[in-house]
Amino acid sequence: MPLIATPEQEELRRSLRRFLQQVSGREQVRALLTDDAGYDPAVWHRMATELGLQGLALPEQFGGSGATFAELGVVFEEFGRALVCAPFLSSVVLTGHVLLAVDDPPAQARWLPGIADGTLLATLAVPAGAGHDRAAPLPQATASAGGWRLDGTVMFVPDAQIAQLLLIAARTPAGTSVFAVRAGATGLDRTALPNIDLTRRVSRVDLHATPAELIGPQGGADAALQRALQLATVALAAEQVGGAQACLDMAVGYACTREQFGRPIGSFQAIKHQCADLQVQVVSARSAATWACGIASGEQDPAQLPLAAALAGAYCADAFVTAAKANLQIHGGIGFTWEHDAHLYLKRAKSGQLLLGTPDQHRDTAARLMGITHEQ
Amino acid sequence: MSSDYAHLDVGDDAEFRALLRTFLTEHGPGKRPKDPAGRLDWQRRWQAVLFDGRWAGPSWPRDCGGMDLPFTRQVIYSEELARARVPNPPGTGVGIAGPTIIKYGTDEQRARWLPALLRADQVWAQGYSEPEAGSDLPSLRTTARRDGDDYVVTGQKVWSTQAQIADVLFALVRTGTQESRQNGITYLVLDLHAPGVTVRPLRDLTGGAAFGEVFLDEVRVPVTNRIGAENEGWRLARTSLGHERAAGAMIQASFYQRVFGELVALARERGTAADPVWSRRLADLGIRVKIMALNAASTIAAIEATGEPGPASSVSRLYNSTLEQELHEIAVDMLGPYGLLDGGPDAVQRGRWVGGFLRTRASTIGAGTAEIQRNTIAEQVLGLPRDPAMPPR
Repeated sequence: MPLIATPEQEELRRSLRRFLQQVSGREQVRALLTDDAGYDPAVWHRMATELGLQGLALPEQFGGSGATFAELGVVFEEFGRALVCAPFLSSVVLTGHVLLAVDDPPAQARWLPGIADGTLLATLAVPAGAGHDRAAPLPQATASAGGWRLDGTVMFVPDAQIAQLLLIAARTPAGTSVFAVRAGATGLDRTALPNIDLTRRVSRVDLHATPAELIGPQGGADAALQRALQLATVALAAEQVGGAQACLDMAVGYACTREQFGRPIGSFQAIKHQCADLQVQVVSARSAATWACGIASGEQDPAQLPLAAALAGAYCADAFVTAAKANLQIHGGIGFTWEHDAHLYLKRAKSGQLLLGTPDQHRDTAARLMGITHEQ
Repeated sequence: MSSDYAHLDVGDDAEFRALLRTFLTEHGPGKRPKDPAGRLDWQRRWQAVLFDGRWAGPSWPRDCGGMDLPFTRQVIYSEELARARVPNPPGTGVGIAGPTIIKYGTDEQRARWLPALLRADQVWAQGYSEPEAGSDLPSLRTTARRDGDDYVVTGQKVWSTQAQIADVLFALVRTGTQESRQNGITYLVLDLHAPGVTVRPLRDLTGGAAFGEVFLDEVRVPVTNRIGAENEGWRLARTSLGHERAAGAMIQASFYQRVFGELVALARERGTAADPVWSRRLADLGIRVKIMALNAASTIAAIEATGEPGPASSVSRLYNSTLEQELHEIAVDMLGPYGLLDGGPDAVQRGRWVGGFLRTRASTIGAGTAEIQRNTIAEQVLGLPRDPAMPPR
């Protein structure tokens, strides 16, 4: 079981951290908060050309470098630490892995190389919550003489404003299917939602008889969608570990230097014990995320992916929120200001906690998989 | 005692595991007796079976009766013993005093004590805490006055696990001035059957007596029973036994995986699992029990890769002690008022869950309170500043 990082992964972490210090520092993140696109295309381009990040865990036949999800976990942990604003989860993980999971070689050949080299921004529209089987109804797909048309609404689609390609889960007479819609298609409306987390954009997508192309067979796409959501949950868990660690580091750093009553506040047990409890949670969250990334890499026990995703999804999301709140509290008044970064982490923690399924939804999934409730 | 080590040195780990499993199946300890005396006898007999077959003391040197296994095989050993549900060695000597003597004892002391300790011919208890020295252990007051070739020891120890059945006490005693604190403490091994020793069972909140009080009145202890130098005892007692603990954390994790499975079975049997509030609470617990195992496995992976136990080892005790308390309380809550019954025909599974709820109150108190552990993590792992009101460490 690969529970600690290999030397190669540590090297990846070091070079990525250096890179992100240059391109995703405080000023850059702050500038992107008010940017319409919400990401920096030049940095996105450098991620692809200098570091090959987008293609890191995609197969070589589609222009990727064929590394595993364990390496992707390192990338996400560093993204979480540096509050990286980029359409990585949506384009590379969600869309990339839906494409890999559906049986449609021409669609894979057409789009995966663009995702892998960062020249194509894509996203996946499935109803928010624990997946397409839980919440709002899927859009309806209707076959007509001119091809498929989609009608319906999908809420909370990540990075939809900047996506050039949207994969959309929709109902057909044969069951759930995946459709491709190009940005600019007729009857496609994308509305940015005023989500508190400005480092991660989400939109409402409305479809009115929007022309769409069927990807893979008609019906039977549930498994592919589930898999992509599970992988995205695992990636997000790794990101949450990085975010939680950053919060703990900030809290400890501040507690060592901020003085009240003539001594550093970190010398008081009330502060120490909060930090120690965070350390317990951050270390445990890392154990969970590292295990889940190992499972997601497919090298060991791939059948455990649903449980690993639910476990890491629930625990790491909560750990990040706890760490973000404690960090803010330990900073006191300064932590409540707009200028301080504590709120950026809190908002990112909260959006990550609710974006791909809430911790309670993950726990319900785990309850089924652990045999507490019967498998449905 | 067989002097044959061939079974320990077999070429591959799978063969080692198979040999151990065969031994455990063939020599199984039998059913756990219900009465305390029978249980002690059962623990002792099993430990002797392991020792005589050269299957005791995975990390101990072979000249002390141990197996001296490479770390990977120590882990396999722990897994197999947990799986076979065999009893632990009685007392706390094998886990705590033994490794200290291996490291700091003289050859004569090692030969005199360790094989008998490992075979459970003698049961050892710990004498650290005192009525006035709990978290502030360096303030302990049990004194040892040098008199010729003996120390004369007077004082009181408390919370000594299984002291009433033990033969030997490994104790921290004051040889320096009271003000010398941790620099005036010596590590002594003393005979609990010696004149001047009184042991009383300490009835705890469970109604049972897992711990004892030890009263020492002018007890003569030969100087040859001192481990390490005079006034060096604190350093010895504080020596990190990280690798031993890693295997221990693994055993605890597999134990709680099993306990969690039993709790789920109970919840399903009683229909509670069908209630979405309860199924969610149980799933949350199951997630955290699994993470207990992942933390232990991370520590083991770190030791195997780097020789150092890594960050997960420093949080495991706090994580695990809190979780075992929560697990039992969840079980009691799930049973409602039936969860309160600790005997009689209506008690659920003979009251094991409420028994655990009460027993595990000690988990965040003994061997360093949760608060002391938080201080340690904060200061030694995270580097937060010392409290200036506290005496220097």
